[in-house]
Amino acid sequence: MMGLILIFPIVLGVLMLLIRRPLFSKFLLNIYALTHFIVSSYLVFFNDKAAQGSYFALDNVNKIFLIVLSFVFLMATIYNNGYSRHLNVSNKKLNHYFIMIMAFVWAMSGAILSTDLGIAWVLVEGTTLTSAYLIYFNRTKSSIEAAWKYVFICSIGIALAFIGIIFLNISSDNLNTLNFSELLQNAKEGGFNHFWLKLSFIFILFGFGTKMGLAPAHFWLPDAHSESPSPVSALLSATLLNSAYLVILRVFNILSAAGNSTYGRIMLIVMGFLSLFVTAVFLYHIKNYKRMLAYSSIENMGILSIGTALLGMAHYAVILHLIGHSLAKASFFLTSGNVLELYETKRIKHIAGLMNADKKTGWLWILSLLGICAFPTSILFISEFLIIKTMLTDGHYLMCAAFVILLTVILYGMAHVVLKMTFGKAGGEKLEMVNKNKSKITPSMYIPQVIMLTVVFILGIYIPPFLNNVIKAALQGF
Amino acid sequence: MENGFIILFGLSMLYLASTSRIISHIRILVMQGILLFLICILGHKSTPLLDIAFLIIETLVVKSIVIPWFLYRVLKKTGANRDEAANIPHFYCLVISSVILLAGFLASNCMIGMKNIAPLYFGISVSVIVISLWLITIKHKIVSNVIEFITMENGIFLLSLSVAGEMPVLVNLGVLLDVFIAVYILGLFVRKINKEFKDLEVSHLSELKDYE
Repeated sequence: MMGLILIFPIVLGVLMLLIRRPLFSKFLLNIYALTHFIVSSYLVFFNDKAAQGSYFALDNVNKIFLIVLSFVFLMATIYNNGYSRHLNVSNKKLNHYFIMIMAFVWAMSGAILSTDLGIAWVLVEGTTLTSAYLIYFNRTKSSIEAAWKYVFICSIGIALAFIGIIFLNISSDNLNTLNFSELLQNAKEGGFNHFWLKLSFIFILFGFGTKMGLAPAHFWLPDAHSESPSPVSALLSATLLNSAYLVILRVFNILSAAGNSTYGRIMLIVMGFLSLFVTAVFLYHIKNYKRMLAYSSIENMGILSIGTALLGMAHYAVILHLIGHSLAKASFFLTSGNVLELYETKRIKHIAGLMNADKKTGWLWILSLLGICAFPTSILFISEFLIIKTMLTDGHYLMCAAFVILLTVILYGMAHVVLKMTFGKAGGEKLEMVNKNKSKITPSMYIPQVIMLTVVFILGIYIPPFLNNVIKAALQGF
Repeated sequence: MENGFIILFGLSMLYLASTSRIISHIRILVMQGILLFLICILGHKSTPLLDIAFLIIETLVVKSIVIPWFLYRVLKKTGANRDEAANIPHFYCLVISSVILLAGFLASNCMIGMKNIAPLYFGISVSVIVISLWLITIKHKIVSNVIEFITMENGIFLLSLSVAGEMPVLVNLGVLLDVFIAVYILGLFVRKINKEFKDLEVSHLSELKDYE
């Protein structure tokens, strides 16, 4: 079954390269997205025994990551069907665009499913290389700058993570393996040298944290997210960051099992709060709405990191937050694609009257904000509420105050921008341009956001038992 | 014998820190590739045949032929020659790099007696990584940054040799492939940047920002 996720796309990719027809490639990408979703759902909810290999396997922890990736990929592909219709590029370039999206998702799926730290490292770096083309897709001065920074910073970050892996190898004494479950078993038996294990965690956290977008190694993120085409931004933010987080989570689990959890928790909290602080500072005077969404991703990764460091209910909250953030942010980024199509600019000050220009996009823009800002009944409300509750019950009052204040500043920054863009009136010339561009937005550029936001707001009041079982199983990963 | 090569490998970083001609930096990459090959061959006598074949491909073919050749082509196409305006004069660069290298030597002395690590490998590789990272921050041309990225990867390669437990071949292959593709993509971007900005200065890449 796992071959359909990991080998099938290679066959499709070869076909795309041979036939070189964008329409055909688009069709194959849709087939892959659908197959990915069906197979992942079957494996995650019905039969995880069918996905056990020596290097790739489905376990309790990565199930939730796989299903989120699968769902967001399907939605982004549906959006892409409308979006790619108006891309003003050559057939060859468009064909490459579809191939690289598939390669990117393939690398992410592999990174999530891998049972070996080394393979996970290789595939996370693979995601950098496959998505570099997508970020550079618009071929502008700023997109090349973004792509350069992305590849360079992430490659160095990932290289540092490799140093962490070597240190982990040193610390594991005679155990010559990078298999997660064997490492975990070794940690439980006390087979690690604590000094080297701690040192290794610093490097791995910083290295994969670069990819996850945790401050202070987040610099590539706003550039790359804002310069790439919107469906790619959605994938970058909603799925790529999660796959890097999964590796950090697994190594943190090993560190905790070896009896060094306090050390790991402090590191996660420092990076988490730094991410919130950076977002709060930069969002306050943000000029570009896609960069605003990128900073919001940094914020949410910070929340995941803080939640991981806390105990008890916070871990349940982290998984809810992961689901909610991925869906709401993907919806937000996809809607930003509609805004960009309508107004042809990313500058906030040149946009007003979105609600008048296109009611559906306007509402999606507002609802995405409500979803991401944890407005009840968004699932993010439950997750952030549980994180705050854990902080209070554990007696971390100062931390709780800082958390709430930073989130409020971020909420103000985002709401201010979104409301300014949505309401008010657009000038005459602008209105004419917007009306002309309206025809570019097809129904497939609304439907995915509607589906994802519906899920986000329903999950806040009702989590179906089959999903709850998967979430509860994932708690073992902490 | 291999200790001598390891020290030469460390000293090659001093040359990198104190010169400005990019072509000689590429020559240093060739030399580092050959040195790494010799270190592998002399240091690991009981390695299985498959690993030896892999190491030869990695160090001799990729590190000392393919990547330098590719960078040489990029250099020819872009016409970049010197990285003159580094933030710190070359003399101080040399002094600081020497201090880092010395620290590596001293650190390796502390490692003697640890059962999992070869001390000299460890000390030199860590100082090579630190010098590379530091040079990345002070150089002005993006092509120099790529070269220092490769020297950092070389340092990491030496670090992985310092550990008793070896990585599985599959992981090693993946790492090699990733590094190679990363350098390839960076090389392509260097050419694109040269075309767009008419220059290879890092300072041009500052259009994307949140303040005005």
